[in-house]
Amino acid sequence: MTALLGTGTAPAPTVTTTIATRVRDRAATTPRGVAMRSKQLGLWRETSWAEYWEEVQLVGHALLALGITRGDRVAIASENRREWLSADLGIVAVGGITVGLYPTNPAAEVLHLLADSGSVLLVAEDQEQLDKALEVSDRTPALRHLVYVDPRGIRGRYDDPRLLHWDDFLELGRGHRAAHPGAIDEAMAGTRPDDVMTLVYTSGTTGPPKGAMLSVANAEATIATFTGVGGLQDPPAGPSDMVLSYLPLCHVAERIFTIWNNAATGIQVNFAENIDTVPANLREIQPTFFFAVPRIWEKLLATVRVRQASASPVKRAVGNLGLKLAEGVGKSLVANGGRHTASSRVRHAVAWVLVVRSLRERLGLRRVRWAGCGAAPVAVDVLQFFAGLGIPVHELYGMTENTASATANRPGRIRLGTVGEPHDSVEVRIDEQTGEVLTRGAATFLGYWNRPDATAETVDADGWLHTGDVGVLEDGYLRITDRMKDILITAGGKNIAPSEIENALKVSPLIKEAVVIGDRRAYLTALIGVEPDTMSDWAQRHNIAYSTYRDLTEKKEVLELVQGIVTDVNSRLATVEQIKTFRLLPKLLDHEDGELTATQKVRRSALAERFSDLVEGMYSGAAR
Amino acid sequence: MTATQRPVRDPAAGTPAAAAPSATPAPARARRPRGRPAMYTGYAQNMALLNTGGKKAGVLVLFVVALLLPFLLQDDLLRLLATGAVLAIGAIGLNLVTGYAGQVSLGHAVFLGIGAYTASVVSGDPEDESVYGFGITFLPVWLLAAGLVAALVGAIVSPLATRLRGLYLAIVTLGLVFIGEHVFREWDALTGGVGVGREGPTPELFGFDVGTRSEFFSADQQLYLLMLVMLVLFALVGRNIARSAVGRNFAAVRDRDIAAEVTGVDVRKAKRLAFVISGFYGGCAGALLYSINGYIDPGSFNVLLSVQFIAMILIGGAATISGSIMGAFFVALLPRLTRELPEYLPFLSSSPTETPNVFQFETFLYGILIVLFLILEPRGLFGLWVRARNYWKAWPFSY
Repeated sequence: MTALLGTGTAPAPTVTTTIATRVRDRAATTPRGVAMRSKQLGLWRETSWAEYWEEVQLVGHALLALGITRGDRVAIASENRREWLSADLGIVAVGGITVGLYPTNPAAEVLHLLADSGSVLLVAEDQEQLDKALEVSDRTPALRHLVYVDPRGIRGRYDDPRLLHWDDFLELGRGHRAAHPGAIDEAMAGTRPDDVMTLVYTSGTTGPPKGAMLSVANAEATIATFTGVGGLQDPPAGPSDMVLSYLPLCHVAERIFTIWNNAATGIQVNFAENIDTVPANLREIQPTFFFAVPRIWEKLLATVRVRQASASPVKRAVGNLGLKLAEGVGKSLVANGGRHTASSRVRHAVAWVLVVRSLRERLGLRRVRWAGCGAAPVAVDVLQFFAGLGIPVHELYGMTENTASATANRPGRIRLGTVGEPHDSVEVRIDEQTGEVLTRGAATFLGYWNRPDATAETVDADGWLHTGDVGVLEDGYLRITDRMKDILITAGGKNIAPSEIENALKVSPLIKEAVVIGDRRAYLTALIGVEPDTMSDWAQRHNIAYSTYRDLTEKKEVLELVQGIVTDVNSRLATVEQIKTFRLLPKLLDHEDGELTATQKVRRSALAERFSDLVEGMYSGAAR
Repeated sequence: MTATQRPVRDPAAGTPAAAAPSATPAPARARRPRGRPAMYTGYAQNMALLNTGGKKAGVLVLFVVALLLPFLLQDDLLRLLATGAVLAIGAIGLNLVTGYAGQVSLGHAVFLGIGAYTASVVSGDPEDESVYGFGITFLPVWLLAAGLVAALVGAIVSPLATRLRGLYLAIVTLGLVFIGEHVFREWDALTGGVGVGREGPTPELFGFDVGTRSEFFSADQQLYLLMLVMLVLFALVGRNIARSAVGRNFAAVRDRDIAAEVTGVDVRKAKRLAFVISGFYGGCAGALLYSINGYIDPGSFNVLLSVQFIAMILIGGAATISGSIMGAFFVALLPRLTRELPEYLPFLSSSPTETPNVFQFETFLYGILIVLFLILEPRGLFGLWVRARNYWKAWPFSY
């Protein structure tokens, strides 16, 4: 891929700004400032900028010592932790290309990602991640080194010559630094804006994941968009702000909000212990910036509803009153584009005293001053609820291929239901024929790794990126209808966007998954997965005994309950959009089983195939 | 406690960046980010005496109010509060051995007696032929002597505790009270004998007698302030014992002595220490108590006094320092309340010769209160406070 290494450009007089140089500069100006925290034995252990940069340098030197140079791919398979950040920046510093793997990727996908990217080194968090790589390592000839961070279960038991413990890896770097003290600075000076910085693999709802090549310039364009004055976050984040890092770092959104934002603004990153402790960690950290996917917002809302329902009578009564007020405030804010009226201000003050203040403290959102939502479509009701609590959630729109920079709701100019206005540096237009959203700007990616055919399909000659989403522009605000591939055309020839119906269903805390089916069919049906936590809570309160998840989904009462939700949603839809019948999924969908992508998105084709008997059952019944 | 004092491995030390010999600057002093009460960046914050802003403010307000009280209340009430403060010191001592270390002690009255007489002997008039006296009236001297002698007795008694548990230990400590009572009644040269008694220690500080009125303050105002300072000192030490390794060992022994031993706690040493500390507190409380009263009757150190202390910690809250203080003040102020009862309940008499009278009712009330607290709120007054606090903490949910 020599073409990517900045052919023909004269050596730039100054060093190209990358996330690595940004961290170096922070370490120079505020060496003792807190860069990040991770929880160990109950304590949030702090890492200073100087310690962070020290580790980044050691990683860089270690990579050079192992003969890894510009353009080589290095994979990271780990939960969010300090080593992820150090490894990523070390790789960037020496001009390598970071390939992020989801810790939940099954071995087959690990094989695809390692083989497709041709990674020469893998940083594996622990035995679990290492085992998956070792299982497929005979089919990944390029993979020369495997570095593991947590030695438990590995040290003294594995004798693969390619293995290297993180400490020894850093020791290697220390030795190399003693011999070549200026090597990192030299490497950073050789970086050009067009160099590939990272491969971010698409989640692959259809077909195998493709690696999107993001350049240094792409990252800098996105950083400028997200953190610039008058940009997405206003006022921009600073060293006294806090963020909780809990979404997978290999996804472009979390990469931006954790690594890039941290390097660019100095925001303190706090790593969640794991995905289950996120609510508790949120309460401890009380972040000032909070980005979440719709699933998390829905879950927070469900928590409030369930806990509220089981509170003591006095608390419930006061809570209901407060939430009712907050709901009114939310509606008023939505109607006024996020600005308070005199009446909503008064109601907000009363609700604040009654319930909002303590509720936000319990949720860990007490100090949030910027909240964002993206990566999947979200129902308006969910965001309206949080608006009522005084947390305006800014819906963003972007995708891996444009480094997550396309449109966003700006502070004070929120319009719920839309994904906001295009960024200043990004052009957005709607294709006249297909209605597809097209974007163009400095953040548009270089292309797919080893897939010029796919790149050509996605980016046209004029540089317009075809997003694959259908949308409309309403006086400057973009409204996304659905994924182009997901649009259903019923047997009657009617175009239907399933995600709107699905999200309306998912507003209920009892429903986790909803998949609307009806392409080339006479009417619409749905496969619905119930939320085990809230549904079991409901079953308990109604004295319904059950053994397994499957048993729960087969209870008459549960079916009636879900039918009630479906009927309620139907009443707000046009006749052709109504769901005639539904089936409950007998199992929780899982990434391992290929039903979900690593980002927990439903693979429609896999689902339709696996549960074809359920689907056919919904249609054959009518034929009979 | 050798086993528990081995250095705790610093988790950060295991990571190369932190362990690097180079002079990489660590983060500035681990300070807690503001407004995040549940976030700890160091164990010291978690173990701090006042680990939340609310506690800090609350304690400050309470202390200021306590300092202002002498200028707001009548002298007789101040004397009662001074007594309450001293009883609280004794209750903290009992709570350390019974609440924290789980060793039921019904013999607390003996420690109070030993303290009271030791202090009296040290500060007593050497000219007086009938009883011992060394004439050292300086308060710290007789207070320390009282504490140390009582602690010594505690050390002598503690082998019983290391061999016995639960009910057996309770009965044995009950036996101590009878032995003590007998000695106090018979040893005339020490106690002055039944019906005669002797003077309590003189609370003198650098030539200033706190017990007599001065130019600016009445005797009761001075005594109240002195006892308040004493209570704060003893409570702070008590709280520090409770939150340190010693206190944690006590709790481990209480919860399951075998498990504690397996985890490396020296059970015998912990029990011995508990009795010694409890004895010290009891001795000091006894000495201070009779420096307020001024006169010691050898019959005072009976089972009823022990039971009153048990009542204090059970009503206040076992294994809490603030509970001990609440319980002591409750018990100290209870007689004052019951004295008012005949006005509202005409069938109660205020004369000790008639039945039913308020004194019988008082004794009855201790019993009833202990029973009710044990059934309804075993964590005592402190538990009620915790309940109220948790109710608001969980708002707007129930859990």
